Amino acid sequence: MDRRRVLKSLLVLLGSALSVSLIYPLVRYLAPPSGAEQGGKVTIKKSEVEVGSSKDIVVRNIPAIVINTPEKGFIALSKVCTHLGCLVQYEKSKNRLLCPCHGGVYNLEGTVISGPPPKPLQKFAVKVEGDSVVIG
Amino acid sequence: MVRKIKDWLEVRIGLAEIIRTQLTGYMVPGNINLFYTLGFVALAAFFSQVATGFFLLIYYLPHSEYAFRSVQDIMSRVPYGWLFRMMHAVGSNLMVATVVLHMLSVSYMGSYKKPRELTWVAGAFMLFVTLTFCLSGYLLPWSQLSYWATTIVTSIPAAIPYAGDMIAGTLRGGEMVSGATLNRFFAIHVILLPLLLIFLFGIHLFLVRRIGVSSPPFGRTAPRWRPGTSFRHEDHPDGHPFYPYFVQREMMMVFLYFAAMFFIIAFLPTLFSPDDANTPADPFRTPAHIKPEWYFLPFYQLLKLIPNKLLGIGIQALLAALFIFWPFIDTREEDNILKRPRLLALFAAVVVSWVILTVWGRYS
Repeated sequence: MDRRRVLKSLLVLLGSALSVSLIYPLVRYLAPPSGAEQGGKVTIKKSEVEVGSSKDIVVRNIPAIVINTPEKGFIALSKVCTHLGCLVQYEKSKNRLLCPCHGGVYNLEGTVISGPPPKPLQKFAVKVEGDSVVIG
Repeated sequence: MVRKIKDWLEVRIGLAEIIRTQLTGYMVPGNINLFYTLGFVALAAFFSQVATGFFLLIYYLPHSEYAFRSVQDIMSRVPYGWLFRMMHAVGSNLMVATVVLHMLSVSYMGSYKKPRELTWVAGAFMLFVTLTFCLSGYLLPWSQLSYWATTIVTSIPAAIPYAGDMIAGTLRGGEMVSGATLNRFFAIHVILLPLLLIFLFGIHLFLVRRIGVSSPPFGRTAPRWRPGTSFRHEDHPDGHPFYPYFVQREMMMVFLYFAAMFFIIAFLPTLFSPDDANTPADPFRTPAHIKPEWYFLPFYQLLKLIPNKLLGIGIQALLAALFIFWPFIDTREEDNILKRPRLLALFAAVVVSWVILTVWGRYS
């Protein structure tokens, strides 16, 4: 192998190594920082949500809703529709959650009743402690 | 004075030869028609977007707390801010329309056929870059419409197995659309996409000039030029000079483009700006009946019609691939679509389906 060819191969090798070594930092740089949205519980007063009513909250940066149902007490669900990310609205008279974008309908358990959503709404743990309700 | 400048340039760069070979002596087909000017109109539209975009950048603040207010200030407080904002917003719609019309006319004239396959592929990518321009620019005013339209669009990749959530998260810079998304889209809109479009345009223009302008299959006076087994430039010795004949027609169409733009700005200012576009983004309230812009309606409606989101994305990706690589699928030599009834029927079916899906998506 002559000197020109060796130098050419070395340049290709060096260029490839440089490109590859930059890919991982770039992917990590572009991915959202992890951990920023972890943890974080939300505490509200029981009196803030009367039986049959609801309250909008934010749990770990996710818009959520707490509903005080007559049958099962407090339920906390993500408001983010699992279809395309619009926020569902609580329809008290029909005891359901409706997505205004493409008509996805969920029951108060977060289960899909009709429409295009592929999976149920995310559920948050709810703990009643005295006068307070802890969500998340 | 002009004479002196010309002489000075002549000595240094051989100006007369450039003018003779690239303008006055460069011949276009004798039966060339106005549809052939649409590529130039699209280029003029892009430069108009660059110029008005630059003016907007002087006052626009790419931050979720100030973006909406800054756009409102541009519209109502900055002298003639409304003009440049409207030129940019209406221009984006007209630019998409021009590029789509250009692709349609190229399809109808059969100009994608050998040896112009790569010219088509570069053009198809330019259409996708133009649509990405619109998508990234849509979020920047940080209105209810832009926020929720972006939420919907960035949710689509989440259906891809395994990597979907990572792609959606990377696009958004987090779980939800937020200030991080705005920063990302802003960087993409003002740096990445312009460079990419200029790069693709360079390839496209190089191929057009290197191979030569294709002759329309309708109203030919000379026998059709056929590519050989080795490279050959398609020339038209009996055609018209590129300058002044064709350039004048191109300029006429550019003026028509701006006439349409100013007509919309003057008489239909809310055509592309519904109420939700003038309401600040509220990440905790989705407005009812949110719809994407007209050029995304067929994709949106198709996605709604197919119950499985992954299948919907898969079909759209397949259609996009068919569109990009169409010259490698339709390899028949005959370029006159009127002599190919099945191709004509397919062309009509695609256009009609596109219109139906658009109208359906708008009113469903």
